[in-house]
Amino acid sequence: MILRRFLAAAFLAAATCGAAVAQDARRGAELAAPCMQCHGANGRSQMETIPSLAGQPADFITIQMILLREGLRQAPAMAPFAANLPDRDIEDLAAFFAALPPGPPDERRPRDPALITAAEALVGPRHCATCHVADYGGRNQIPRIAAQREEYLAAAMTQYRDGTRAGPDTQMNGAVVGLSDADIAALAHFLAQK
Amino acid sequence: MTIRRLFLGAAAMLIAGPALAQAPAPAPVPGWAIGRPEGSTLAPHAPRLTVTPLDQVPVSAIRLPPGFQAEVYAHGIPGVRAIAEGPNGTLFAGTRGIGRVYAITRNADGTTRTRIFAQGLTQPSGLVMIGNSLYIFAVNRVLRYDNVEANLDSPPAPVDLTAAYGLPTEQEHGANHHWKFVTLGPDGRVYTNVGVNCNVCDFDRDKFALLVSFRPDGSDRRIEARGVRNSVGMAHHPVTGELWATNHGRDWVGDNNPEDSLLRVRRAGEDFGFPFCLGNWADPEYNRGRACSEFSQPAALLGPHTAVLGMRFYTGTMFPAQYRNQIFIARRGSWNRSRLSGYDVVVAKLDAQGNVTGVEEFLTGLRDDANQRFLDRPVEVHVLRDGSMLVSGEQMGAIYRITYRQ
Repeated sequence: MILRRFLAAAFLAAATCGAAVAQDARRGAELAAPCMQCHGANGRSQMETIPSLAGQPADFITIQMILLREGLRQAPAMAPFAANLPDRDIEDLAAFFAALPPGPPDERRPRDPALITAAEALVGPRHCATCHVADYGGRNQIPRIAAQREEYLAAAMTQYRDGTRAGPDTQMNGAVVGLSDADIAALAHFLAQK
Repeated sequence: MTIRRLFLGAAAMLIAGPALAQAPAPAPVPGWAIGRPEGSTLAPHAPRLTVTPLDQVPVSAIRLPPGFQAEVYAHGIPGVRAIAEGPNGTLFAGTRGIGRVYAITRNADGTTRTRIFAQGLTQPSGLVMIGNSLYIFAVNRVLRYDNVEANLDSPPAPVDLTAAYGLPTEQEHGANHHWKFVTLGPDGRVYTNVGVNCNVCDFDRDKFALLVSFRPDGSDRRIEARGVRNSVGMAHHPVTGELWATNHGRDWVGDNNPEDSLLRVRRAGEDFGFPFCLGNWADPEYNRGRACSEFSQPAALLGPHTAVLGMRFYTGTMFPAQYRNQIFIARRGSWNRSRLSGYDVVVAKLDAQGNVTGVEEFLTGLRDDANQRFLDRPVEVHVLRDGSMLVSGEQMGAIYRITYRQ
């Protein structure tokens, strides 16, 4: 019954955010075992450079998996998993991870007030919350960045800045243009502490 | 093997890309966000890059004038946008986010077959057929596939015309408005857009916000129009040969300004005023004291933030005579607006002198005003030889066919 309520909620969420398909999170759970080797048993990654997927918007996971499958996003560790993965598997995996409660990794480094202050001066002018929303929880194709792994956030922003990664559009490339490495380090720390 | 080469080429380009960080003089805020009011959470809608099952393609929601019918011509084509037709009837379809070019052929029983013709490209949204050759305009790449319809399953390596065209790179665009629309003029030249490298800013007006034309080999660049913020749809009038284009207005000046527009280019090089003006509307931040009367006026205003894209003159005979040589325009639909606008196809009605006498709704039903949702996003219109009209639906990966019966 809990599962049924869960699936009903997943269907409702899919229907209201414009995705036309009721993804099957239960089937996604069955497919997710290999993912959890790196992304964490509860979708919260304990591994350096590997992002947490718990609570990511389903559209975000789906689109990123398509970009990985199509060779448009370069992440060598993901290539063998994404290659030839059918759309339905991707959508079901996305529904599963989207429904997991988000949270930080078990070990998170202590809060650094200097970095937080530096980041607070950047998030306003850079309009981070415009797309990622006020609690940085993301929506639709825009990822949850709150409590994401710090070194992963820094690496991702660096890739967007350096033109080695783009989303389905280039909003993020425009958003981080001109940031220094120090700026990125501060933003990554600030968001990881959320 | 060609696909693999393309794939590796795209990967090499990404790695070799010298970093957006080196784009000249980074703006104090990101280019797309210039002018954005504090607190707004408007953002582009999520694309759908997975296959939409046929029973979820919203063809039954489409509304048309009396006598017109809509059917699904082809589906399962995620991200479908521009359509170019080969001499033997193959439809080539471009995309943005999913990086593919599709080839769609018709089976004897009337069903269609879709192949992935090329993949791993960055936003291959510009397609044009010249004779038997398909030209693909992706970001930072121009590729020509000769004798293309004879080689749909194993296309030979394309001719790379990127350097010959010398279009501004992704880095020079700062990742803004760098995707292409392309069409062939009656003069045999290739017409395309060079969008502005920001939402709104001061920029080199000889380099960005242009309509340009080339010889097909990429030589002899000519500026056809200036001050055009970003055009993702163009066509030449079937009688006069004049170039017409759709044009996107800037973001973040409120829900009702400025309007997207339809431009009629009467002479090469005329100036439509961006960033200073659009029509008689002076930009509140970038007007720079210019009189709007010094610029060419748009032929029609097409609504604020409606995202006007593909446009074609109707040259067939299936539709009633009143539609002949009138302009069908796909409006992909707004994101920079608190309530949705567009998500339809409209007709710009022209009189004998080529003046627009009105803009009428044609294909509606894809925008759900009550729930502020959309069912699909029309991007391209294409007139088939039998006079029916195709409309590509990017969000649902479907191509709709519109027919008329008395």
